[in-house]
Amino acid sequence: MTPLRPLFLLAVALLTISQAQAIDVTSMERVPVQEGGRKKPFIVFADEALMSISGKSQFTKEGTKISSTVAISSLWLTPRGWENQPLILIGNKKFKTQIGLDPATKLFSYRDLSGNEPLRAALQEVSALRAKNPKVKLDPLQREASTIGMRLAVFEGLVSGRGIMVLPTGAAAWSPLDAEDPALLKIREGFLSGDQAAYDAGLELLRNEQSRENPRFQADPSKIAIEVFYQKLHPFRWAWILYLFSGMSLLLLAGGRIGYALGWGFALSGFLMQIAGFVFRILISGRAPVTNMYESVVWVAFGTILFALIFEAIYRSRYFLLGAVPVAVTSLILADTQTVILDRSIHPLVPVLSDNFWLTTHVLTITLSYAAFALALGVGHIILGKSIFGTKASPALHNYLYRTLQVGVLLLAIGTILGGVWANYSWGRFWDWDPKETWALIALLGYLFVLHGRIAGKWGGFGLAVGAVLAFQCIIMAWYGVNFVLGVGLHSYGFGAGGFPTAVGFVLSEFVIVLIAVLRHRGIKAARSSANA
Amino acid sequence: MRRDWRGVVLTALERKRMVEARQKNSSFWRLIHLLGSLQLALILLATIAIACAAATVAESEFSTKVAQVYIYKAPWFLIWLGVLCINLFAVTITRWPWEKKHTGFIVTHYGIITLLFGAIVGLQTGFEGNVTLHKDKPPVRKITINRSIIQVESPNDTALYVMPFDAASARPSEKRPRVFEVPASDLKIVADAVSENLLKEEKLLPSESGAPGVMLRLTSPRMGQTVNMPLVLEGEAPTEKDFFGLAKILLQSELPPPSPKKDADTQVVFGRFAPVVQDNGPSTGVKVLLSEDGKKVTIISPDATSATYLRADLMKSPLQAGGVTITIEEYWPDFEMREGRPSTKSDLPNNPAALVRIQAAAGDSKPALVMVADVDGIRYQLLRGGTSQAAGKAKVGDSFSLGWADWQLEVIATYPKAAIVTEVKPGPVLPAGESGIPGFRARLVSPSIADAPQRWVPSGDITALTDGRNVVRIGYGLELRPIPFTLKLVDFEVPRYEGTETPSNFIATLEFKDNATGEVKAGTARMNHPASFPGTFFANFTGINYKFSQAEWNPRDLGETTLQVLYDPGWILKWSGSLAICIGIAIMFYFKPKTGNA
Repeated sequence: MTPLRPLFLLAVALLTISQAQAIDVTSMERVPVQEGGRKKPFIVFADEALMSISGKSQFTKEGTKISSTVAISSLWLTPRGWENQPLILIGNKKFKTQIGLDPATKLFSYRDLSGNEPLRAALQEVSALRAKNPKVKLDPLQREASTIGMRLAVFEGLVSGRGIMVLPTGAAAWSPLDAEDPALLKIREGFLSGDQAAYDAGLELLRNEQSRENPRFQADPSKIAIEVFYQKLHPFRWAWILYLFSGMSLLLLAGGRIGYALGWGFALSGFLMQIAGFVFRILISGRAPVTNMYESVVWVAFGTILFALIFEAIYRSRYFLLGAVPVAVTSLILADTQTVILDRSIHPLVPVLSDNFWLTTHVLTITLSYAAFALALGVGHIILGKSIFGTKASPALHNYLYRTLQVGVLLLAIGTILGGVWANYSWGRFWDWDPKETWALIALLGYLFVLHGRIAGKWGGFGLAVGAVLAFQCIIMAWYGVNFVLGVGLHSYGFGAGGFPTAVGFVLSEFVIVLIAVLRHRGIKAARSSANA
Repeated sequence: MRRDWRGVVLTALERKRMVEARQKNSSFWRLIHLLGSLQLALILLATIAIACAAATVAESEFSTKVAQVYIYKAPWFLIWLGVLCINLFAVTITRWPWEKKHTGFIVTHYGIITLLFGAIVGLQTGFEGNVTLHKDKPPVRKITINRSIIQVESPNDTALYVMPFDAASARPSEKRPRVFEVPASDLKIVADAVSENLLKEEKLLPSESGAPGVMLRLTSPRMGQTVNMPLVLEGEAPTEKDFFGLAKILLQSELPPPSPKKDADTQVVFGRFAPVVQDNGPSTGVKVLLSEDGKKVTIISPDATSATYLRADLMKSPLQAGGVTITIEEYWPDFEMREGRPSTKSDLPNNPAALVRIQAAAGDSKPALVMVADVDGIRYQLLRGGTSQAAGKAKVGDSFSLGWADWQLEVIATYPKAAIVTEVKPGPVLPAGESGIPGFRARLVSPSIADAPQRWVPSGDITALTDGRNVVRIGYGLELRPIPFTLKLVDFEVPRYEGTETPSNFIATLEFKDNATGEVKAGTARMNHPASFPGTFFANFTGINYKFSQAEWNPRDLGETTLQVLYDPGWILKWSGSLAICIGIAIMFYFKPKTGNA
C-alpha cells in the first residue's frame, strides 16, 4: 500500500514545523532500532544515518548546530521542510560539474537533487551496469553516483519512516511503525509542540509496543545500554588527548623524573581508555575489534603504545614513548576526524571473517606487527631527527630500534603464515599471490633486507633507522594501499576509497625527511673525518 | 670459549681462521661461501620484493593472468626462488661446525626451504580446482582443475589425447607458432594466434536438410545493446532461448490459444467477515482466511488442502504454494474505512483485516515471447505471468516493442528450411577486469596439404579442424579430473543477518560415496570450515585429503553452490616449515645464548 504513504506525509506536513524547541531526547536515544543486520540504539542509528547522508555527525540548521539524534528525529517526525535543507553530501567535484551543480558547494538539498536530470541519468546508467554484471567495477564518477543514490534512498527512508525499523514483528526482521501508530502520533505531538511529557509518554507507548513480541525477537536492553554509553563516551578521543599530554610532559619536562612519571601516567590512562573502548566494542559486536580500516587504525595506535610501555618498563629510556606518541596520536586523530573514509560504525561481518578464532589470531598478529613497525618508525624518526639537528644518536637508541624491529618481524612472519593457514581452510589454498598476502610478504622481505644489510655491515644504526622509515612505506601499502588503491583481490571486504592524497603526502614527506637526514648525516661524517685528519 | 654440537671447543678467533683457511684451500668451500653469501641474500630479497610489488600493480592495472604469466608463475621467478633455496641452504653450511647459538638461525632457514619444498610437492602431486554442485542434479564425479588443456581426437584411432596447453600464457604467434603432433597420424595442429575475447556469432543460413528458422535482432537503445538471435524449430518440441535471464523466447509450430488476462487476485480478508475480492477475471481458486485474532493465516488451495501460517511471517516473505505466490501486503488490526481509505482504529485486534495478493504461478512469472514462423514473417504472442499480454504479426523488416524494459524486436529473416552456423571471431580487447571467452587460432597441417583453412578454437567447446581430407576434432578448456569418489549436494543454506539480505554464512551439506568401497560419508562445508574426504585425522594432518571450501554462490539459484577443491600432499611440509620459521625467528631473537668472550 505504498501509494498511500505520500498522502500521510502530506497530512503530517500540514502540521507545519516551527519546532526545534529544546526537547530532551535522552529517552529517544535508547530506543532500539534494527538496521544493517543488527539492533542498535537510536543514537547510533541517527549518527550513522546522518553520517551516511551528510558526512557529518552534526547538522547546522539555520545557524544552530543540532545533534544527529535531533536531526534524524526531526526528519522522521516532521519531514516537511527538510527537502529544502542542504543536507546531502556530494564530495566529488568533477561529478558536481558533470551534473551541473556548483563544485564549491558541499551539501545539497533533496529538492536540488531529486529534480536533477543528469543525476538521474547517471543513476540509471549505474543500475543498468549492475543489472548486466552485479560485480562490475565502477569508475570513480559512477561510484559517486551510486553513493549519492544510496544517500537519497536513506533520506527517503527517513522522511517516509520506512527506513526506521523499530517494531519487532515476531520474526527476525522488524518493521517500521505504521503511519497512524498511536505511539508515533504521540511522539510527534510532543516533538512538535515541545511538550516533554507527551514526547516521553509516546516513547513509553513505543516501548510497550516493542515489548509485546516474543522476547527472542526483541533487543537486548543491556547491550543497548552499553552501546549508548560507548557512543557518548568517545574513549578513543580521550585516548589521543591523554597520549598528547603524555608526549608533551616527556618533551617539555625533558630529563626530569616528574616529566617521565607524568608521561607514563598519561600514557597509561590513555591506554586504559583504549582498553575500555575495545571492551565496549567487543561486548557490542561479539568479535575482535579489527574488522575494518577504522578499527585497525585504532588498534595499531593501541599496539604501538603497548609495545612502547613494555619497552619502557624494561629499558626506562623515554624514547619508546616519545616515538610511539606521535604515531598513536596521529592515527587516533585520523580515526576520530576522517569519519567518511574511516567508518566507525559496527557492521555485521562478511561470512569469511565471521570466525573468531582466525580473526583473532591472524588479524591481531598482523596488526600488532604493524604496531611494532609503527613504533620502529617513531624511534627511527627520533634518530633521523637527531641527525638533522646535528646530534648523534647513542648506540643504546640504535639497540632500541633493533629490538622493536625484531618484534615486528616475528609478528609479521607469524601473522602472514597464520593467514596462509586460514586461507587454506577458508579459500582452499595456502598461498596464491593475493595482493594483500603478497604485500605482507613484500613488507617482510623489506624488513629482512634492512636487518640482513645490518648483519652484512652494509649499514649501521643510522642505516637501520633509514630502513625502518622506508620499509614502513611497504606496511602503508599492505595496510592502506591494497585496500584503497589497488582494490583487487580476495580481501575485498576491507576495500574502501578516499584519503589517497593524504597517504601520498605522508609517503612523500617521509622520503623528504630521509633524504634530508641522509644528507646531514653524510655532512657530519665528512666534517668529523676531516676534523680527525 | 664456546662449544659446538660435538662439544669441540672453538674460540671466535679460531673459528674465523678456520673459515678463512677452508675457503683458501678448497674450491668446494669457496663455492659454498659464495652461494651462501649475504650479498646474494640481499640481492634475492630486494629483487623478489620488487618483482612482487610490480606484479601487484600489474594485477590491478591489467589482470591476475598478466601478473601470473609474467611474474608469479614465470620460469625466471621460479628459478629465482630456487636460487633463494640454494642460498638459504648454503648459508647454513657456511656456519659449519654448528654451535648452539646457531639453532634459531638454522631452524628458520631450513623452515623456509621446507615451506618452498612443500609448495613444489603441492604443485607437482596435488591440485586446486573447483566444482559446482546443484541440489537437484546427480552426484559429481569430476572436478574442474585450474589448468588449461587441449583434447585431440585422432582420426586413426578413437582415443582422446590430452595435452596441457594454456593459450593465454603460451601466446603462440605467427612468428612463434605452437605445433602439436596429432598422435597416431602424420598430421599436425599449428596454433598461431590467441585472443582473450572470442565472439561467437550465430548465423541463420538456408539449408536443404534444415528446419523452419527465424533470425531476430533485439535492440535496447537505453543500454546501447544489440543481440542477434537465430532460432530453428527442430522436431515437435518448441525451441526455447533464455534472454539474459530476463525473459524467454520460444519458437513453436503452433501458437497457444490466447489465455485471458489475469494478473493477480487482490483480496481484503477479514477475521470476522467474508473477503472482499477485486473482480478482474477468473480467480486463481486459492482462498485465504484470517484468524479472529489476526495472528494466523490459513491458505486453502483449489484442491482443498489447507495450511496455516503466522501472519507476521507471511508479511515478511511471500509464500509460494500450489503454483501461486501469496503476499500479505498490509494489515489493519482494527479495520475501518476513513476518508475512503482503509485504516485502523486502534492496534487492538477488534476487526483484523489483511490485504492479500495472490499471483499466478511463480515458475511462469518470466515474460515470454512465443512465435510461429511464416513465409514472410512471424505470428507471435507476448506472455507475462502465463497470460497473454499482446499478440500480432510481424513481417520481415518489421519491428515492435517487447515490453521488457526498452527492448525492441526486429524480424531479420525467416526460412522454411534453415540451419544455424556458428562463426567464431576475435572481438575487441576487453578493458581490465572483464573477461571474455579465450581461445586460439589453429589449422591442420599434413605433409601433402599445406594450405588448410584456419579456425578459431574457443575455450569450452569442441572445434573440428580440416585440411580438406582429414578431420580432427579438438577441444580446449579447463581440465576435468576424475576423483575416486562421487560428491552430491544434499542441501545448501544461506542464513542471513537479521532484517537484511546479507548472508551470514554458507552451509553446504554434502554426501561422499567412495568408488572403491561404496562407503557413504556425510560432510558439511561452511565458511572457514571445509568438508573433507576421507577426512580422517591422518588425511587432514598430511594433506592427502580432498578439501572442499565454500567459494561462490548464486543468489538467483539457492540450490547451487561452487566449492573450491584442494588436494595438497605438500601440506605437511608447508605447515611444519611454517612452524619452524616462527619458532626459529623467536629463538634467534629471544633465546640466543649470551655471547661470552667474543
